[in-house]
Amino acid sequence: MRQDKTAKRYLINGIALALLMAVSVCISLTGGNTIKLKVVPAVWQCCYLIIMAASLNLVLGFLGQLSLGHCGFMAVGAYTAALISLAFQRAGIYEAKSGAAFILVVIASFIAAGLLAAILGLIVGIPALRLKGDYLAIITLGFGMIIVNLINNIPFCGQQGLSQGAASSALYANGLGFSNDEKMKYMWLGILAVILCMTVMFMFVRSKYGRIIRAIRDNEIAASASGINVSFYKVMTFAFSAFFAGVAGALYSCCNSALATTSFAFTNGSILNSVFIVVMVVIGGMGSLTGSVVAAIGMFLLNYTIKNGAWVNALPGFLQGIFTYPMLVYSVALIIVIMFRPRGIMGTSEFALYDIPKWPARIKKHFAKEAAKSEKREEAAVNE
Amino acid sequence: MITFIQFLITGLRLGSVYALIALGYTMVYGIIKLINFAHGDFIMVGGYTLYFTIPVMMRLGLPGWTAVILAVIVCACVGMLVELLAYRPVRKKGTNLTALITAIAMSFVLENLAQAIPAIGPDPRVPYTLFSKTVTIGGVSISTATFITIIVSALVMIGLYLFTQKTRIGRAMRCVSEDKQAAVLMGINVNRTIIITFAIGAGLAAVAALMYIAQYPKLYTTMGATLGIYAFVAAVLGGIGSLPGAMLGGMVIGIIQSATNTYISSSMSDTFVYLILIIVLMIKPAGILGKNVGEKV
Amino acid sequence: MKKKKLISLFMAAGMALSLAACGSSSSSEAAASAPASEASAAVSAAGSEAASGDFAGTITLGVIGPMTGTLAVYGTHISNGVELAVEQINADGGVSIGGEAYALATETKDDQGDSTECLNAMNALISDGIGLVVGSATSGCTSAITSVANSEGVVLITPSGTADALTTEMDYVFRTCFKDSFQGQLAAKYAADNGYTKVGIVYCSADTYSAGLRDAFSASCAELGVNVVAEESVATMTDVDYTNQFNKMVSAGAELVFIPFYYDVTGPYLVPQARQAGFSGVLLGCDGVDNTETTIPDGADLSVYNDFYFINHYAEDLAATDVSSCFVSSFKDKYGESPNNFDALGYDAVLVYKKAMEAAGSYAAADVQAALADTSVVYEIASGKFSFDETGTPIKSGVLMGYSYNEGDAAVTKSSIQTLEVE
Repeated sequence: MRQDKTAKRYLINGIALALLMAVSVCISLTGGNTIKLKVVPAVWQCCYLIIMAASLNLVLGFLGQLSLGHCGFMAVGAYTAALISLAFQRAGIYEAKSGAAFILVVIASFIAAGLLAAILGLIVGIPALRLKGDYLAIITLGFGMIIVNLINNIPFCGQQGLSQGAASSALYANGLGFSNDEKMKYMWLGILAVILCMTVMFMFVRSKYGRIIRAIRDNEIAASASGINVSFYKVMTFAFSAFFAGVAGALYSCCNSALATTSFAFTNGSILNSVFIVVMVVIGGMGSLTGSVVAAIGMFLLNYTIKNGAWVNALPGFLQGIFTYPMLVYSVALIIVIMFRPRGIMGTSEFALYDIPKWPARIKKHFAKEAAKSEKREEAAVNE
Repeated sequence: MITFIQFLITGLRLGSVYALIALGYTMVYGIIKLINFAHGDFIMVGGYTLYFTIPVMMRLGLPGWTAVILAVIVCACVGMLVELLAYRPVRKKGTNLTALITAIAMSFVLENLAQAIPAIGPDPRVPYTLFSKTVTIGGVSISTATFITIIVSALVMIGLYLFTQKTRIGRAMRCVSEDKQAAVLMGINVNRTIIITFAIGAGLAAVAALMYIAQYPKLYTTMGATLGIYAFVAAVLGGIGSLPGAMLGGMVIGIIQSATNTYISSSMSDTFVYLILIIVLMIKPAGILGKNVGEKV
Repeated sequence: MKKKKLISLFMAAGMALSLAACGSSSSSEAAASAPASEASAAVSAAGSEAASGDFAGTITLGVIGPMTGTLAVYGTHISNGVELAVEQINADGGVSIGGEAYALATETKDDQGDSTECLNAMNALISDGIGLVVGSATSGCTSAITSVANSEGVVLITPSGTADALTTEMDYVFRTCFKDSFQGQLAAKYAADNGYTKVGIVYCSADTYSAGLRDAFSASCAELGVNVVAEESVATMTDVDYTNQFNKMVSAGAELVFIPFYYDVTGPYLVPQARQAGFSGVLLGCDGVDNTETTIPDGADLSVYNDFYFINHYAEDLAATDVSSCFVSSFKDKYGESPNNFDALGYDAVLVYKKAMEAAGSYAAADVQAALADTSVVYEIASGKFSFDETGTPIKSGVLMGYSYNEGDAAVTKSSIQTLEVE
């Protein structure tokens, strides 16, 4: 009975994903101007944000360690992918940005980006994960800064390399930097990357390793007492998560024709920085991969429509005043979410599309339970 | 030799500022075990208050530094407000991790709030420079502000030490930091103690702001972010929760930055600061002067 | 329990609202001041047939810049310049295309100083049907959108993107500032002409503007036989201490130090610290240094600002055109402060668009591009006069300006010294 249900869930999710792929291919063949200018770039940005949020969730939500330098790995991935694609172009593997050779190079650069980031994750993780909590946060922050500082100082990829001038136009003309037309043409590639990465992450979380790292999160001492090699699993998860951050970086360099290290700093203007990836994970739910996906898309859409949407203009004047400072909105939202749901909106629960019709009933039940609880508490208070 | 002395002086100049900021950081951390990321932004609040009040004080015929009293009051109020609005509700329900994330969010709130206030805005402001005289000894010039900063941080450190050791509230603070439940049982009002801690920490940030702008006279709304991170690194390096440790850590960070600039590469100082931090934490996980406390099962 | 939660929520909301009040009050202030200055503009334009109200249509210019975030100061100033120009043009009868007058309007997008946001903003503007865009403030952001401008056929004038490779031959990207290599050449030539043989450079390796100028300057120095004896950098533009760098300049014996930084670094940090480190030679900056007088701290030793020169786009006293002086006075009327480079260059971008649209007799992007690509046209703008070279970068002359401390009135004054040109 239960197995039957699970099978149904997987079937429905599988069909939904297949549909998504089909739609993306259709769009890339037939899309008009608005789709090209608005929808497709948005989809690409969602792609890397989803992978980033989910990969950080492995460390933050499932392993229970705060990493503030996750964008450092993304930077490594972005620069690696961009440089590899340019190198292949110079070696003459592909001429124009089309054809099987080009797609193979793109895929190879994605994998290389992930691998290099994972190796770096290993190097960072071995010393860093001996520390806990606040100390780990500050160490990862430090590593993120070191990575950015080093990239800045490498002559061929620093601030003067891929961010401006001849090198950046080279990236655009010959390397990974996609134009709007190419973004539309290769949208399936981005979506495929997301589906693959998410599937692997799900499999990881549901495997015995996933159970082990959740045990470490819930009680490290108890876990090590039950014979789990805590440091090994911590470092492994860290490197695993860094791999996906690297892939997200590669996707990022597809989206942007110019790479600048400031985009990967600890804090900067946009929603892509180590802090706001943390925000996505927390809002979505620490320990819920589906929550991360929803939160990444939601945060992106919020950010995008605040700047480019018409609905902000429809708001009363004082609200518009707030929305001219989007970072303020996000941080206040984050504080409110944490106040009411410390583990994020989704908590640690996942959802399948199959269950969505049952949600209203569940939510009702949840609130009824809460009300009962608080009533009991009040009674207890009265009795005291 | 002269290069060596000069690099040392620059290091002390930077380090003394970091030390003063780190004292406030470490004090709050010592009591409630929360990395208050917004501490750097308290400096920003203090700085802007001083920017507006120093000219007023001077027009009244008082020395400019007396403006710090007002700044301390403003900062303490902001500190208490932050604790009341954000940290207290979160502390009730969440874990250390959620409290830390709230602190980061609070830092963003303060930065963007300041930018949204028309009187502050995004333009950088340059406050009145106090203690601008320099003393030249044997071809090397030192700013008096550097001396005063070192003296002020030493005084603050001693003052804080005496405060936490001798006074009633100070003892209550130490008690809360040891064990909150036990403190409640002892009849200590934990919430009141914590809010006083925040008021003192934020007030110290105003003092730090005074010394900071005397040496580096520029204010902008996001100045707290970098400053706070360096001060935090200093506090961790020295052993977080330890007052002399914060002092030492600040000086060490300043000197490392200055040494990297002088002897290695001037654009790599960040890398070396964090590298040293990582190495120290590898060898002594609780920092140079920190006590290593075993975990209770 | 619940009540307290609610209270804290209300307080948080209250905080947000108080901010909103700030935001809206500032906007209403701006709204209140706008009619007044419009009136004054109308007065200044008395005599010309200033009949606003009967326009044949409205042409919307896109404006992209960092309006919030760490670089907000650049974006807001560009936007101020653009708004002023648009207001004046509309009060003056708008843009006349094919005998009909069109009003100008702007649609401003915030890129927060980030390249992804900048790209989003550009795409959104294009899909709204806008073909003429002013933006973005930094070279980094601008380089993220030049490719889109070219492939989608939208004209982009960057007011302050100075990186050399932003504009290329026969494309849709133009600018109103000079490019890095030109300023570097001017600076090196100044050093060579004045007999400095040993120069030093202090720059920021992580900033496109600073590093680009440093490359240009040291290349030109090599050509002109000026010896670069020391070169030091800082990691970020937010660094506060430059003493060690200048200690090295002193020990290397540099007579002139090239400092490609912005005014918010030179005023409070760099210049006083350089003098404190014992450097007594000439400090030479670029256009970013303009407005240092607004960031000089009161109460400090002001004599340190002697021998401090910079290369600028224009000088108020050398203001070659009426447009410049009109711009400076009307800017002061509208915003109550002196314009800086970003204000002037944003203003210029709109004037250039106006002239190009009138010359093309159309506001379609392709026609405007063709008009702009005509290198013989001379534009009279706030920062002087220029015509575009074949890549779309202005050919202008620079002005050498300098700060000097006047003991009499205890103030630092800015004055123009000479016009600089490259053969």
